[in-house]
Amino acid sequence: MKLRNYHWKENVTGYLFILPQFLMFLIFIVYPIIEGIRLSLYKVQFNQESFVGFDNYVTLFHDPVFFKSIYNTVIFVVFIVLLTVAFAIFVASSVFDKNAKYVSFIRGSYYIPVMVSMVVMSMVWGFLLNPANGLISYAAREMDFSIVNLLGNKHTVLPVIIFVTFATNVGQAIILYIAAMIGVPKDLFEAAEVDGASRVRIIFQILIPLVKPTTIYITIINIIAVLKIFVVIQLLTGGGPNNASVTMMYYLYNNAFKYNQLGVASAVGVIMFLITMLLSIPQLRAMFKEK
Amino acid sequence: MLQTKEKKKREKYDIVSNVIIIVFAVLNLFPLYWLFTSSLKNSSDVIKMPPDWWPKTFTFSNYTDVFNNQPALRWTLNSLFVAGISTILVVIASSMAAYAFSKLNFFGKNMLFVIFISSLMVPKEVMIVPLFRITQDLGMVNSLWGMIWPNVATAFGVFLLKGFFDSVPDALREAARIDGAGETRTFLQILLPIVKPGIGALFILNFVQVWNDYLWQLVIGQDKNVKTLMVGIATLMQDLNPNFAYKMAGATVAAVPMLLIFLLFQRYFTRGIAGGAVKE
Repeated sequence: MKLRNYHWKENVTGYLFILPQFLMFLIFIVYPIIEGIRLSLYKVQFNQESFVGFDNYVTLFHDPVFFKSIYNTVIFVVFIVLLTVAFAIFVASSVFDKNAKYVSFIRGSYYIPVMVSMVVMSMVWGFLLNPANGLISYAAREMDFSIVNLLGNKHTVLPVIIFVTFATNVGQAIILYIAAMIGVPKDLFEAAEVDGASRVRIIFQILIPLVKPTTIYITIINIIAVLKIFVVIQLLTGGGPNNASVTMMYYLYNNAFKYNQLGVASAVGVIMFLITMLLSIPQLRAMFKEK
Repeated sequence: MLQTKEKKKREKYDIVSNVIIIVFAVLNLFPLYWLFTSSLKNSSDVIKMPPDWWPKTFTFSNYTDVFNNQPALRWTLNSLFVAGISTILVVIASSMAAYAFSKLNFFGKNMLFVIFISSLMVPKEVMIVPLFRITQDLGMVNSLWGMIWPNVATAFGVFLLKGFFDSVPDALREAARIDGAGETRTFLQILLPIVKPGIGALFILNFVQVWNDYLWQLVIGQDKNVKTLMVGIATLMQDLNPNFAYKMAGATVAAVPMLLIFLLFQRYFTRGIAGGAVKE
């Protein structure tokens, strides 16, 4: 009897400690997900809601702009994530065994753009790429490039956005890789060096396989971050020219807060939610396996 | 003989790659250099082509313009309030939950933890429509509190701090309990001081994240006076004023606090970001 009493008390203590977090979780994560799924099946006009089944989804799949937004988002995810992982491995594998001052200089110079945020960096790039008085447009003119307005051309706008996003955010991946590579036991390299292995071989055969968990983690957090790419689109292109750079998040935002199509916007949200859940399964698996 | 040749080749790759990395690092910082120097030019110098690589005359008028023409001081205070209060609430809620998940036993603990952690992967932007309507129902649209509460739901802090609590030996907590300390006292006076580095890392990472957050603050802060710094400064970009020096001054105002935080607390970033990742 006494024992049961004790357990009961410990249970209550535990629940009380997680209560604040749990309440927030229910109100601002669980409920919005359920409500979002419900809204995606309704036509919402101001205070009036009417059930329309899958009409919102049907509307979406008849809208060429929605397809364009999926296409662009996929292109962004693939290229930005590949560039980020490859470049971060290159940087981290070259600097991790150097002296601490140098490592923190490299880390700092790549991480500072991450710190000052996508909003600020988008504004600077917007200035640099401005066709009238931007430095890059000036350079393009001087070098007789045919395209001066890189953001106004449907062929160059995607590569430019990919580059800007990659350059701004790669610092986080570099920090993670450096931390992971510093953690690799030194005797592994020493053994390989004695065997006469070149640095490039050490990187590819020892370092990269050993930091695989970091690679998985970086890949997933970056996929999810790029999936919701918004700031750079709103501030640099507004989705243009002619929807050439519209993304899913930008499409969602416009439907919700410009065209007042809350049902359609919710349907986009549900689709994006399902994609993120699907993509995060390997990461969640890895996190629980270690326990 | 072969050995030395091999050694030379290895060093060559090392030198070349590090030179490339340094060049890129400098190039990567160039936009920020351009931001600062442009913000100090006058309106005619900033559009001069070929450009002045270093301002010929320095002027602070762009900064005074930003603060005089826009409620930039108000925006800064709003951002401080939103980021500060969000972070304090996050630290309280997640340190309590992390302690429970790490040190206490209760029914359904593992399952609840799995559910919490799964939510880490869902960005709140995806659910922005229902989230907006909830905030509306709570009467918090166009209020700083509406920007704050949804941030508190993030499970990142629980995940980060649980790692720190796990590394504290159970014996310590048991000793405190045997000495007659209640659960709350054990948590507040024994365990919490030990995980202070974790709290510090969480505080800074979360503060920066909320400070730099954009979309949610954009939809909640509709009146000019309830905008945060990031959202307010971004409106300068769409401003008809063609003076780029003025826009760059605004962007600099938004960037400087984060640069200071980074320079002052660099070690927390490394620790916090790496601590939040999978452990190898």
